[in-house]
Amino acid sequence: MSILKLNVIDLEKSEYKGGKSSLCPGCGHDQISNVIIQAAWENGIKPEGIAKMSGIGCSSKTPAYFLGKSHGFNTVHGRMPSVTTGANMVNKDLSFLAVSGDGDTASIGIGQFIHAIRRNLDMVYIIENNGVYGLTKGQYSATVEKGSKKKKGTMNEQSPIDLCAMAVNLGCSFVARSFSGSKKQLTALLRAAMSHKGMAIIDVISPCVTFANNDESYKSYNYVKENDEVLHIVDYIAHFSPIEAVEVPAGEFKEIKLFDGSTLRLETVGNEHDPTDPVEALRAIHDADKESRHVTGLLYYNPDKKTATETLGLTNTPLMALPESELRPSKQSLEELNEGFRTN
Amino acid sequence: MAIRVNDFTINIATANGTGSQSANLIILHSMYEMGVPVSGKNLFPSNISGLPTWFIIRASDAGYQAPGDHTHIQVMMNKDTWEKDLNNTEPGAVIIYNQDVKLPVERDDCVVLPMPMTKMARSISPKMAKLMANMYYVGAIAHILKIDQGAIEAAVSNQFGGKEKAIEWNLQAIAQGKAYAEENWDYESEYMAEARNKDPNTFLIEGNEATALGAIYGGINMLSWYPITPSSSVAESIISWIPKLREAEDGGATCAVVQAEDELAAAGMVLGAGWAGGRGMTCTSGPGISLMSEFIGLFYFSEVPGVIWDVNRVGPSTGLPTRTQQGDLSMLYEASHGDTQHIVLIPGTVDECFEFGWRAFDYADRFQTMVFGFGDLDLGMNRWSTAGFEYPDIPMDRGKVIRSQEQMDAIANYGRYRDVDGDGIAYRTLPGSGLDPILYRGTGHDEDGIYSEDPQVYHSTMERLKRKIDGARDLLPAPIIRQEKEKSVGIIFYGSMENTIVEIDDMLEETGLSVSTCRVRALPYHSDVEAFIEAHDNIVVLEINRDGQLFGILRKELPVQLLTKIQSVAYSDGLPPRARVYADLILETMKEVKL
Repeated sequence: MSILKLNVIDLEKSEYKGGKSSLCPGCGHDQISNVIIQAAWENGIKPEGIAKMSGIGCSSKTPAYFLGKSHGFNTVHGRMPSVTTGANMVNKDLSFLAVSGDGDTASIGIGQFIHAIRRNLDMVYIIENNGVYGLTKGQYSATVEKGSKKKKGTMNEQSPIDLCAMAVNLGCSFVARSFSGSKKQLTALLRAAMSHKGMAIIDVISPCVTFANNDESYKSYNYVKENDEVLHIVDYIAHFSPIEAVEVPAGEFKEIKLFDGSTLRLETVGNEHDPTDPVEALRAIHDADKESRHVTGLLYYNPDKKTATETLGLTNTPLMALPESELRPSKQSLEELNEGFRTN
Repeated sequence: MAIRVNDFTINIATANGTGSQSANLIILHSMYEMGVPVSGKNLFPSNISGLPTWFIIRASDAGYQAPGDHTHIQVMMNKDTWEKDLNNTEPGAVIIYNQDVKLPVERDDCVVLPMPMTKMARSISPKMAKLMANMYYVGAIAHILKIDQGAIEAAVSNQFGGKEKAIEWNLQAIAQGKAYAEENWDYESEYMAEARNKDPNTFLIEGNEATALGAIYGGINMLSWYPITPSSSVAESIISWIPKLREAEDGGATCAVVQAEDELAAAGMVLGAGWAGGRGMTCTSGPGISLMSEFIGLFYFSEVPGVIWDVNRVGPSTGLPTRTQQGDLSMLYEASHGDTQHIVLIPGTVDECFEFGWRAFDYADRFQTMVFGFGDLDLGMNRWSTAGFEYPDIPMDRGKVIRSQEQMDAIANYGRYRDVDGDGIAYRTLPGSGLDPILYRGTGHDEDGIYSEDPQVYHSTMERLKRKIDGARDLLPAPIIRQEKEKSVGIIFYGSMENTIVEIDDMLEETGLSVSTCRVRALPYHSDVEAFIEAHDNIVVLEINRDGQLFGILRKELPVQLLTKIQSVAYSDGLPPRARVYADLILETMKEVKL
């Protein structure tokens, strides 16, 4: 009999698993689902406290494949942010974990994506970015790079929309880019995003094995492996980790304190990156873009921005839990209201 | 000379944004204050400043609230519509006009009463002369109708609540207008506003404000909205009233208000709120409903509660954005692709705007679906009389929500979409509860909420949904029926037509017809509606649209043997319904069926 490992709230990892994936074997999205399971388990989040949100597309199907003990909503194409907004307004205590794709986010849903950032909705927003529409059989999406070519058809001639650059420009409070093949980096970034209060965006390059995993595709495994411009080595140190378990790296590093008390350690590789500076974040994106490389790591971080519900000054109890006595004004108040109209 | 007492129509032609709305409301409210049965219609343009506006005031002891068929007193202030207003004035009418517009008024067949309104206004305040000029026609009308000075003062002080200088200046202008009329006009008035015993409980209020208050007493806790005429004032009223009526102990807000990026997002937010166990609502008009339609299908299919309040304006497309119509009904009833059917609540009075405003949330939670409130610009943005709103007579109905493991254990064979007790409504659990979580979806799903393309599963899901909404029929507001002994003609109508129906009825009965009426207040329609049709020889379905949208719904759902009885009378030109227009159309239709 093997001893099963438990997390900080005494749950086995299996408590965080979902149904069987129906995506193509080898799909980058399945690797991301595994990272989601791992990160939620390691962070010791109660499964019932999480709400899984998604739009439409291959990526948006994945909430069926992780966190089976959490409620979720597979909504409509590109409109997941608004549904999340409504749910967040009435229950700010839920942890919203959203999965979307590049078609869902960069095309049909770009307006809702932008406005969710503008409001600083308290959520983790993962974009599973492969540059193609998988479910409709491989059309280019708006994030595909100019000069990239999918398995069949012609080379893409249009400029891409860089969702991270857009998020930085909009003042998103946590912006990261990663790769589905970089399990360690992605897990650390996702754990940090889960510890963050406010909108956390992780744009994850996730190769489409069926339609765009050829070497001429800039989002193929081989291409990303060879052209990954790593900003820093990321390490997540949970707030509940015993102090003696935390190693101190030999080289230079920076530490970021997260909302729940956890730490994200950024070890310098090459040039030091300051994630609190939006201009530096944009420069890193543009520099990589010039050389057709993908920059990965924590691009931008701003912990001081108020969340959507904080800005509204909502009462502390989640609105959905307010009793009738707080939601329906008294009979006397209506009598006074009528009287006020009569005498005015 | 016979004097017409409390039986006349005033038409006031002004330009938008010149402050005339204040003057018009002062006339309306001062007559209302005297107990004169009066109604006001604002015909305004889609514009902030400069385009023509007309305000129609009708006094009627008979209680008629539609714009009258004849204008008795025409006020002319707007040079842009001068000629048109002049030509439209019927012989014998009184024309009061601002002489400073310096345009001719050559009508020997009318009583022509000039006043140098702008010039006189300048004597009070040169800067405010343009705005103040309107108060002179208030004085002129007060003189002609002998409106009680106390009532005028009350209306002015109400209109400019607390602003002492404004009250003083405007009262001064009205007094000057009155004095000028007395001294310079050689006209013995044929019209008079006579005081009646006013029910001290009554007051005037716009339908949209009544709806907003209803929503607040219904426990709204998430309002998402995107500005659109004529619905914006529903949201704005909620925003302004809620801090006065509701506050949590910690001083925090009990309703989240989000001005959305568009109507799609507004609907999505309502869906999210309903899914998470809140009471979400948005308000919009036809173009917004078009945009929300995809989400409305998701509400229906994933069975999530929510409220969308539609204040109808004239379509199609951008249409006439500031005019009224009942043109959205069939769209609401079957909004979104595939087979759908939605609950639609149709208030016809401001009291019902309030009542359906709170009931909508109960129906949404009970039937786990999206519920429409359906009003129109006439009811929503004009002021109507009420004796005061009635407090909800039942506690909130939060529907079939499982909130504890015990409740869950008491249900044998629970599944999110399994109808365990035969009413078509399954139990649900809320996110965060940890109770039997599922991934909600707009794709095909089985009784446990698991993805399914199975033909039998899809078919039985759709049959259950049909049964569920059908089960709402007799639990929704029943029609208001006024039945004659002789069951010859029955008129079925709905919504703001309520304000014209009495006059239409009187016109028809003058011709010897015996007319019963049935005001439908919800869809799917109540079984009483069918009984009403059965009981009458001929049925007219009366609507403010082109195609006869309720007629279409009835024709689809009524038993086939009743279909020969029903006729459609539908007419829409953007204006609030005038009784004569509809009465004549009904008579014509009756002639065709050889009654």
